[in-house]
Amino acid sequence: MRMRPGARVPVRLVIGLAVAIALDTGLQLVWKTGIASLPDTSSVWETVTAIALNPIFVLVVLFMGAQLVNWLKVLDHADLSYAKPFTSLSYVTVCVLSVLVLGERIAPLQIVGIVVVVAGVWCVSQTRRATLDAEAERE
Amino acid sequence: MSPTAFGVLLVVVSTMVEGFGQTFLKRSSLDIERRRRWILLGVAVLIVEVLLYSAALRFLAVSTAFPITSLSFVMVTLLSRWQLGEEVTPLRWAGVGLILVGTGLIVAQA
Repeated sequence: MRMRPGARVPVRLVIGLAVAIALDTGLQLVWKTGIASLPDTSSVWETVTAIALNPIFVLVVLFMGAQLVNWLKVLDHADLSYAKPFTSLSYVTVCVLSVLVLGERIAPLQIVGIVVVVAGVWCVSQTRRATLDAEAERE
Repeated sequence: MSPTAFGVLLVVVSTMVEGFGQTFLKRSSLDIERRRRWILLGVAVLIVEVLLYSAALRFLAVSTAFPITSLSFVMVTLLSRWQLGEEVTPLRWAGVGLILVGTGLIVAQA
């Protein structure tokens, strides 16, 4: 059966989206720990210095670099309006990991939120991944 | 304008800026000849977004500001349609709507 361009989802796109979610999750968790360790000050300069001196923010910058490289690869093979919604799954993974790793409590409404996000991503995943010519050529 | 309203405005603007930054990154794969230029522009715009969001946190609590950032999913979708000409079907919009509500629910409690 001949499929319309952009209907098939290549494995590397699936991997790229999974990596994007994983990096985003790592970034948010590291960020969360990093922000908590900052001194409580209203001075912008003191905050900037504290950030520059904190090794955890080196990790943040590395994560961001990796995120950019991977994201550009993802955008080579999918619509922006197809790929971006998948990143919302990092809200789900951060929430779940905060419970499992950081021992935070989960509210009933958050569970509803997780289900709604997953349903939303499922809807997007049912649409054509690429609707622009340049992307279809790269199949 | 009250400080809170100003903070909310800054966050909303930052989500629009994110939308533009993302479309520039996407253009880097559509306009290969100027790939590097689009990437640099995209990254610069995303840095502006971070600065706007940080500025907003001087007027708002994170618990108020963070849920509003889910609007970026809507902004990105709108701009993908308007700026890039992507085909956003009703099903894709429905997905984005659910994501907006769902992420709002997750982070509003955090």
